[in-house]
Amino acid sequence: MEETPAWRPEARGYVGAWSAPQEARAGPSLFSVLNELPSAATVRFRGPGVLPWGALEEQDEDDKRQTQAFMEADHMDLQDPRPSRELPWPMQARRAHRKSLAQNQMARGAGSRADWARKLRRCRQKIRESWRSLRPWAWTLNKIGGQFGAGTESYFSLLRFLLLLNVLAAVLTACMTLLPTWLEGAPPGPPSLGVSSHCGPYNPNPQGLLSFSSQIFNLLSGEGYLEWSPLFYGFYPPRPRLAITYLCSVFVTGLLCLLLILHRSVSGMKQTLLAESGTLTSYSHRVFSAWDFGLCGDVHVRLRQGTILFELQVELEEAAVRRRATGRTLGQEARVWLVRGLLNLLVIGLLGAAFYGVYWAMETSVQLQEEPFVQQTALLKLGVNYLPSVFISGVNFVLPPVFKLLAPLEGYTRSRQVIFILLRTVFLRLASLLVLLFSLWKQITCEGNAEAPDCKACGYNYKELPCWETRLGQEMYKLLIFDLFTGLAVMLLIQFPRKLLCGHCPGALGRFLGTQEFQVPDEVLGLIYAQTVVWVGSFFSPILPLLNTAKFLLLFYLKKFTLFSTCSPASRTFRASTVNFFFPLVLLLGLAISAIPVLYSIFLIPPSKLCGPFREEPSIWSRIPESILSLPQAAQSVLFFLGSQAFAVPLLLLSSILMAYTVALANSYGRLISELQKQVETESRNKVFLAQRAVALSSAPGGL
Amino acid sequence: MGGSGSRLSKELLVEYQDLTFLTKQEILLAHKRFCELLPPDHRSTEESLQARVSFQQIFSLPELKANPFKERICRVFSTSPARDNLSFEDFLDLLSVFSDTATPDIKSHYAFRIFASGICPPDFDDDGTLNRGDLSQLVNSLTGEGEDTQLSASEMKQLIDNILEESDIDRDGTINLSEFQHVISRSPDFASSFKIVL
Repeated sequence: MEETPAWRPEARGYVGAWSAPQEARAGPSLFSVLNELPSAATVRFRGPGVLPWGALEEQDEDDKRQTQAFMEADHMDLQDPRPSRELPWPMQARRAHRKSLAQNQMARGAGSRADWARKLRRCRQKIRESWRSLRPWAWTLNKIGGQFGAGTESYFSLLRFLLLLNVLAAVLTACMTLLPTWLEGAPPGPPSLGVSSHCGPYNPNPQGLLSFSSQIFNLLSGEGYLEWSPLFYGFYPPRPRLAITYLCSVFVTGLLCLLLILHRSVSGMKQTLLAESGTLTSYSHRVFSAWDFGLCGDVHVRLRQGTILFELQVELEEAAVRRRATGRTLGQEARVWLVRGLLNLLVIGLLGAAFYGVYWAMETSVQLQEEPFVQQTALLKLGVNYLPSVFISGVNFVLPPVFKLLAPLEGYTRSRQVIFILLRTVFLRLASLLVLLFSLWKQITCEGNAEAPDCKACGYNYKELPCWETRLGQEMYKLLIFDLFTGLAVMLLIQFPRKLLCGHCPGALGRFLGTQEFQVPDEVLGLIYAQTVVWVGSFFSPILPLLNTAKFLLLFYLKKFTLFSTCSPASRTFRASTVNFFFPLVLLLGLAISAIPVLYSIFLIPPSKLCGPFREEPSIWSRIPESILSLPQAAQSVLFFLGSQAFAVPLLLLSSILMAYTVALANSYGRLISELQKQVETESRNKVFLAQRAVALSSAPGGL
Repeated sequence: MGGSGSRLSKELLVEYQDLTFLTKQEILLAHKRFCELLPPDHRSTEESLQARVSFQQIFSLPELKANPFKERICRVFSTSPARDNLSFEDFLDLLSVFSDTATPDIKSHYAFRIFASGICPPDFDDDGTLNRGDLSQLVNSLTGEGEDTQLSASEMKQLIDNILEESDIDRDGTINLSEFQHVISRSPDFASSFKIVL
């Protein structure tokens, strides 16, 4: 039996000693013996009646038929055979397979368990397909992925997911807040001018004719006619049922968002955790999953090839850097750590300055609003009102590029630098929002001092903030609007002119300025920040999710338009897996952070006495225990038990035990995997040894 | 019959939907694009199902035109004895494996075939494993075929050593199908990058 393919002598290790015989040899070669093994033959099998992989026409007829018959018998024996389309065979072979499956099925008769299992699987597949076809913009996302890479596609996919969250929140709020308000009769109007209680006068609606500029000002800052409207908390009447549904809608929305985000991040997490550790298989992944087969166009292909080359070279270089790093002397090591310490101090200093700036802006804004000359000019009033938003946007615009400049000085590898930059930017964005809320809290509760003269009468600062919940809602509303304006401004004033003008500039400068890329991490963090603002504000401004839906819809089309007209494909492939794993975690963090001010307000700050559905309660939460007391005794005892320590402590213990068990299980699986790997290695050595002996025996003169 | 829109029969559509991972719209679109590659007077339904299209014509599709793996892809999916042309069903096979809903198993199987098939001559390297030569050809396809777009010899050796260190479990110097599938199953980006949409 002769075999035509030559044996390649480059294999590593013990097999390498066998040289390549080009001419015919007496007896089989090592390669042919290894090729005949059943495992190799199974893998090469392509279905009945089709040439196996790697086979040629001139192969022996009997030999072929023998292998084929063996394979067919093997496949038909399976109890629950796979659906035909999952077999790696050509179409005609799959057709034959499907026919024989159907015949077998009829022979076995309907009603068997395999039959039902198959029908169930078909049903589930159909449901999954119809669910997939419901997702909007699927074709657009595919096109974006093909041209600009999977990272950019993940940004738009995240935007679509956030749209879904906002739509669900808006629908829930409408059902649980707006509907009950009008169900029991139209809500009353704002308190009139003459009324004044011991918690100060509160008249949100100004009197008289309003100029056009005042109207615009009211629209942009949520004051005037908007202040007593369904947009803000103050409008809702103090009806008991409305109070309960209002509170529950917030909790239900938060829970729903949490479940959906967890569901989305779990699929990304499963794959990233499976990867055990990114450094273990980074080269293989870089080579095997490097190519995006959806790329079309010569330019994009060449760009991607350049990117891949660059990244491979960087990775190889980084390995050399890491090797050098382990060989550093104590002095060099100390110097590197000194530099890192200094840079971290600088970063902390910059962040501290930014936070102080936001805090100062909030204080000044409130102070300046009391000044008479500010109240005269509408434009100045608008500017003072928006001072905190301007500061936050400015800080978020200026600091991240500074972080990007500082990161290479620290001496970490490229991938670690990216992670550090991301972490610092995330901290900046979320913490600046917290600082704004903190300065508002200081104002509302007189720095937490309930005995201060301003707060003694009503528990909150009624002179400056007669309806503090509405004020909070207004701040979030302003942040939302300003964020939209900043996005528009950046697009119109920076991106388009840069593309139009500097695309025509000569030389390297023109090329540098003209080629903009879609910065995926910055854009995603902007999205997450916007969503956190809405989460904080949705308790104090129930229509905010609806507004945010409109904003994100507008943003989707704007970003898509900007992407296709001004951006070129990314020069660094931002891995989709990072986007799918890291960013949902940051989204969860945003949700957790937004829960803090809302929960604090619900439990610890007395509600305003002049507005809102909770105006007669000592605290917003107290409505719930009151209504529980009106339930039947059994339900009461169950609910009180759930809230007691006798339930929480055993639950905590049980969760810890479960977690420890899972960690131990994972460790034992890891050990099992390495043992199995060693076993596979040994078996392969055995196999090659036996094959070599077989060849030696059969080609020995006078052999068996 | 001449003119536009030669339709596939309903039973055939259902059969194709059952046998591939494509939806009805995708199958119809694939048929339309395939018929455009045929000469104008051979575009009837029966003829389109029997006809075979040469590789040069398939390469004219914009989705494949610039792909450095286009010859390998077409050769892997071709069922003709000389492996130099594609029928409509081969074309559907191609689109099915590269579609959104194909299982990761079948994607990794075909990815292995595509990477393991050398460029020239066709039967030279198709031995069912990825050895050093296959890997170096693969990396060259990824980075570009020109002289200045390839890794240096030492970089290439280091890279292939690293890849074999990571993926070659049985230490025989080659990567076989199961080792490849094991490595790919841990790559979260593979499924999203192994996609062609018409």
